[in-house]
Amino acid sequence: MRIKNCYIVPLLLLIASLQTAQAVSVETPELEIKFKSRTPNQMSSFYEARGFPKAMRDILKQQCFITVGILNKSQTKIWLDLSNWQFSADGKPLKRQHRDYWKKRWQDMGMPLNKQSTFRWTLIPETLDYLPGEHEGGNIVLPFTDKAISLTATFATGENKQGKTLTINADKLSCAVDKQ
Amino acid sequence: MKNLPNIFKLFFITLSLLFIETAFASSTTGDIKVPFGIRDYNVGIAPNFTLQDIDSETFELAKAKGNWIFLHFWASWCGPCKKEMPTIQKLADAMQGEKFKIIMVNTAEDEDTVFEFLSTIDVEVNTLMDVDGLVTEIWKPRGLPTTFLINPKGEVKYQAIGGREWGEPTYVNFLKKLLSSTSGHR
Repeated sequence: MRIKNCYIVPLLLLIASLQTAQAVSVETPELEIKFKSRTPNQMSSFYEARGFPKAMRDILKQQCFITVGILNKSQTKIWLDLSNWQFSADGKPLKRQHRDYWKKRWQDMGMPLNKQSTFRWTLIPETLDYLPGEHEGGNIVLPFTDKAISLTATFATGENKQGKTLTINADKLSCAVDKQ
Repeated sequence: MKNLPNIFKLFFITLSLLFIETAFASSTTGDIKVPFGIRDYNVGIAPNFTLQDIDSETFELAKAKGNWIFLHFWASWCGPCKKEMPTIQKLADAMQGEKFKIIMVNTAEDEDTVFEFLSTIDVEVNTLMDVDGLVTEIWKPRGLPTTFLINPKGEVKYQAIGGREWGEPTYVNFLKKLLSSTSGHR
């Protein structure tokens, strides 16, 4: 057992050293949202393993990827609408790129359709009605910044969005970087 | 009733029979409890498509009418898809011999990736290859994995949210009830 532990501790230290950003979790009685930043190498490896052309990977390596998982813990419908998510860094707005931006960019570059499609499916939907108990997620792509990122997000609730508006704040988000 | 003319007696008996039949029909089609994670999704006729499977056999959705269709969109890079796949195999085993078809659609991956993936999870189910991802774009799943249930008339009726334990009695029984509720409509 002691020998096993000797290996486990350095292994954990090695894993911890491979990336710098922490996972952030925000929880309210209605919602649980988890944010996990991905390093450029993590994202590049993910897309390279799926045959993405270098031209796409080179662009994606320059972005800030945050994987978001959202769980509806309430008994009513909760509406995700990313247009109601405001990111900022150092007090200035940080513009999230809409999936239509990426669609056009890949089309203009003549990238393969299947890679365009896979890329879209790795993004979180722009809008989605979360049913009670539903858990969905995906990536958000922001311009890279080395500053702390804040997010204020609002969600409509209820079958026809007639319920109370939920607001969540997260102010310890960041872009992950690869350790040299 | 005793003093009524025969024609009226016949009328009342017919009316009673009609009432009983209607009541019985609603209890077999309307009382099916939809399990957690499956939502009503009445969006009309299922958009048709033609795709090839990993053995290069062509499949056209419209030609599968007359069966309940379990249309499942997946990708190898999606963690919940991997977890869900063995449960779909269990469902396939449980539904053998039924008017029920499981149609898997892989989203925008190549054959090598799919072959490798399926061999690692030990399932026998075949999959269609949406190589360019265009069929998936038309169907617009909420995410991956997503399953649609299509009735024998070719109408989309339900959508499953995320990965589900398809081999569990809750889901198998629900699907069997769906089949029995429409067995007279074919």
